[in-house]
Amino acid sequence: MADEKQITHGSSSFHDEMAEHAHAHHDDHHHGNFITQYIFSTDHKVIAKQFMFTGIVMAILGVSFSLIFRLQLAFPDTSFPFLETLLGKWAPGGHLDPSFYLALVTMHGTFMVFFVLTAGLSGTFSNFLIPLQVGARDMASGFINMLSYWFFFASCVVMIISLFISTGPASAGWTIYPPLSALPQAIPGSGLGMTLWLVSMALFIVSSLTGAINYITTVLNLRTEGMSMDRLPLTIWAFFLTAIIGVLSFPVLFSAALLLIFDRTLGTSFYLSDIFIGGELLHYQGGSPILFQHLFWFLGHPEVYIVLLPALGITSEVVSVHSRKPIFGYKAMIGSMIGITILSFIVWAHHMFVSGMNPFLGTIFMLFTLVIAVPSAIKAFNYIPTLWKGNIQFTPPMLFAIGLVSFFITGGITGIFLGNAALDIPLHDTYFVTAHFHLVMGSASAFGFFAGIYQWFPKMFGRMMNKRLGYIHFWFTFISLYLVFFPMHFMGMGGVARHYYTNTAFQFMEAFLDIQVFITIAAFIGGIAQFIFLWNFIYSIFWGKTAPANPWKANTLEWTTPLHPKHGNWPGDIPKVYRWPYDYSKPGIKEDYLPQHIPDDEVEYEEGYMPDTKIPEREEIPQRERDTEETE
Amino acid sequence: MDAQVLISFAQVLLVVIFGLVCLNLYLVFRLKEIDPFARWNPSSINGAMFMGFWIVGVIAIIWTTRVWWDEMVMVHSAVSEQGQRIDGMFWRTMAVSILVVLITNTLLFYYAWKYRSKPGRKAYYYPHNNKLELLWTVVPAIVLTLLIFDGVSAWHDIMGKHPEDSVEIEINGKQFEWTFRYPGADNEFGETHVKYINDGTTNSLGFNLKDRKGQDDLVTTELHLPVGRPVKFTIKSRDVLHSATLAHFRMKMDAVPGMATHFWITPTKTTAEMRAETGKEDFNYELSCQQICGSAHYNMRRIVVVETWEEYQNWLSQQTPFYTQYQQINGGNTADAAAAEPVNVALSPQP
Ligand code: HEM
Ligand SMILES: [Cu+2]
Ligand SMILES: [Cu+2]
Repeated sequence: MADEKQITHGSSSFHDEMAEHAHAHHDDHHHGNFITQYIFSTDHKVIAKQFMFTGIVMAILGVSFSLIFRLQLAFPDTSFPFLETLLGKWAPGGHLDPSFYLALVTMHGTFMVFFVLTAGLSGTFSNFLIPLQVGARDMASGFINMLSYWFFFASCVVMIISLFISTGPASAGWTIYPPLSALPQAIPGSGLGMTLWLVSMALFIVSSLTGAINYITTVLNLRTEGMSMDRLPLTIWAFFLTAIIGVLSFPVLFSAALLLIFDRTLGTSFYLSDIFIGGELLHYQGGSPILFQHLFWFLGHPEVYIVLLPALGITSEVVSVHSRKPIFGYKAMIGSMIGITILSFIVWAHHMFVSGMNPFLGTIFMLFTLVIAVPSAIKAFNYIPTLWKGNIQFTPPMLFAIGLVSFFITGGITGIFLGNAALDIPLHDTYFVTAHFHLVMGSASAFGFFAGIYQWFPKMFGRMMNKRLGYIHFWFTFISLYLVFFPMHFMGMGGVARHYYTNTAFQFMEAFLDIQVFITIAAFIGGIAQFIFLWNFIYSIFWGKTAPANPWKANTLEWTTPLHPKHGNWPGDIPKVYRWPYDYSKPGIKEDYLPQHIPDDEVEYEEGYMPDTKIPEREEIPQRERDTEETE
Repeated sequence: MDAQVLISFAQVLLVVIFGLVCLNLYLVFRLKEIDPFARWNPSSINGAMFMGFWIVGVIAIIWTTRVWWDEMVMVHSAVSEQGQRIDGMFWRTMAVSILVVLITNTLLFYYAWKYRSKPGRKAYYYPHNNKLELLWTVVPAIVLTLLIFDGVSAWHDIMGKHPEDSVEIEINGKQFEWTFRYPGADNEFGETHVKYINDGTTNSLGFNLKDRKGQDDLVTTELHLPVGRPVKFTIKSRDVLHSATLAHFRMKMDAVPGMATHFWITPTKTTAEMRAETGKEDFNYELSCQQICGSAHYNMRRIVVVETWEEYQNWLSQQTPFYTQYQQINGGNTADAAAAEPVNVALSPQP
């Protein structure tokens, strides 16, 4: 791969770039004005960037919330005067208010799960890559796609507004279990804050559905000639299945939220019964808080796969490209993703083993849960032989992809503890769960996001990001995420409860204060390291080195578009597809990659290779060749 | 000027100098078009970093486990029969997990390092192998089945019916405290319901004062349990969700408004024995709440005392029944008690 001379990129070429850039702008102006071009655009590439920028802003907010409450967890007795300056009455005397602590935890969870890792990740990469990689000029409906972004935007705005109201934002945890979330008497955040949360989420669900319908339709109907389903890159398979999960599960969250709105405003009793609070008996009769949990987790569990699958799809692509090898077990990968998609709908109650539901249900859900661990394991294992005997290019996206696989394994394995109902009794709602899902979902998906940005930045902006800053960013992030989340297993094993304002109120949790301090320090280092990324990202958008047409020598179609593709993606005809996307280092081929759009008769063979002889199909590599390969 | 100021001044100065040196170096390199890191090979560095990270990481994990071992009360030395069974399962699952994580992460980092790009290397085209695929479908499936087998039977026993001779205790949650109720001499609980609650008259559990079975019920703020006897808890909440958690006994069950939940355990070690064993004079078992329930959620603590059967009986006999306390406070005036009830006392059957 061409070596970058980042520091020395000469002033002359720099000016050329600027000239070219201005020229590009000039061209664009023929197509529309600023507003239709950049704001109410129907171009999937612009919408993808809108999702990305909004996602990044939400991520900065979401992470900042967590840094604030990390301070509280590590130093419960220390006063931080700047908190009072920042938060006013929520941090009197520099000590976080306990109910505002819960508000921060809730907002952190909501922002990260929904706005960053669902909309930010799927919104960015499904939008950007689906048309480019299946060979379509745009989404099936550009207009609905635009609506999807603007609903998302509105949803973000409403949620952000809820941060500034006098009773504070929703505070019942990201899972908003009633009655706590239904009764303003129970916690201040369940007043207007909760109403705004529900409104925001309703908007979010509309956004998610309109987006998903578009992704599904586009993948099914707008594939270019030759792009059969078994030639789709795994990214597209992942986005496609994610969209299906979303379409089937988000409406259930919508109904859960709607019934909660009824309970809150119309006085119905779907979730509430026999409640005495704030000195008075409430009228609710016959509802069940457990019903809400069933509805919530019917979305909530599939949601974790909505977050993870796109990241796994991106990783499959990145690992294959940068190992210069086909992804190992392409069909097994698709099969296990389909398996996960189906099974993810029948495991939800593993979040509810000790909720008071019938224990017999627990047995059933324990069985299904451990079944879903099998396709998850298959996916994890398939990455490793992909690296085996590869020619691994340590580019920033590759580093993040390898990091993701590690997080996925380390975090996923604790799932088999939690999926075992009997073991979940002690572990439920301790830091063990926090460790589990921050590694397998939080860290892994964040790494999917980073891998995707480093990988497709050249296609998005026509420029390269700085590699070395990428390395530094990776190592700081990778190590600090492990330092933050791994020790949480130990805390969980000590019984330290989640959602505790401080763990010094209990004898058996006290000893873990040292670990809390350690984690907070690691979190701050990791948080600050993200400025390296932000700097690299913003700087490179404007002044990065101009990207080559196909910087990673990848096979997929997006690299056949011009450096700055216009609306419509390809200036001429859409390329046709002749093979699957993973022909890297295929024996007999001159280059170590063979793009999908090269017709068979234009393939360049190695010298001495007889083009007439059939290229070994991927199903039929001679056994001999596999066995006699020497170790190195 | 005192030393403090001088030191701070020196520190600032050092930082400024450091910054200037960096800036200077950067400008020189940039103007002269020198790349000081040109000879660093990113492949080797990143590959080595992965291996190094993994080795240091494993050592750090072993060290932390040793240092905090005694504090990990949740996964060893459980003090209930049910808990000991769970602990056994935890470590069997842990053994499998360690094996899997070690093998896969080691291979991942090792391959990343070993097959890092070098001039002239060509990757080996190896798109699939059905035998391998089958291997890592079948092996996890079998291992998981074994673990699950264990889990299902333990879960079934723990959640199953409590033995006939169990001691019955009720745990009541509200924002933000736990209250306990013992059935008293008649071994039967009197009727309670949220509609009878009146905090002003201390009837905060909602006793139906007309129910005779309730007249000898004890209401306490400390949870006493006899050692070696099954204890069956009925868990209730009057406002929002709580979760009654006895970490040392591996018990956790949500308290759900409008619905009673249950859990039973058999404590195996008294508080006194634990104190002697751990050498901590002030050791106490604790009851906590582990379902987010409001601002003081982190502070819903009660002390739990496990004692011998005799001590337990002794303690019970020292408690005053709630009904007696109630009459003392409210002047023994049953009119008051009647007034505390809602007008339409349609006695709804308790679940
Ligand atoms: C190997 C398969 C997995 C199993 C068996 C499993 C099992 C579980 C179980 C039983 C819980 C509930 C724990 C509790 O609250 O007590 C849980 C929580 C969670 N899991 Fe997993 N998990 C697996 C993989 C994953 C993956 C791949 C993701 C994400 C992509 C994920 C995300 C989560 C999240 C977000 C929670 C916490 C929800 C909350 O309480 O706030 N899990 N997991
Ligand atoms: Cu789940
Ligand atoms: Cu609580």
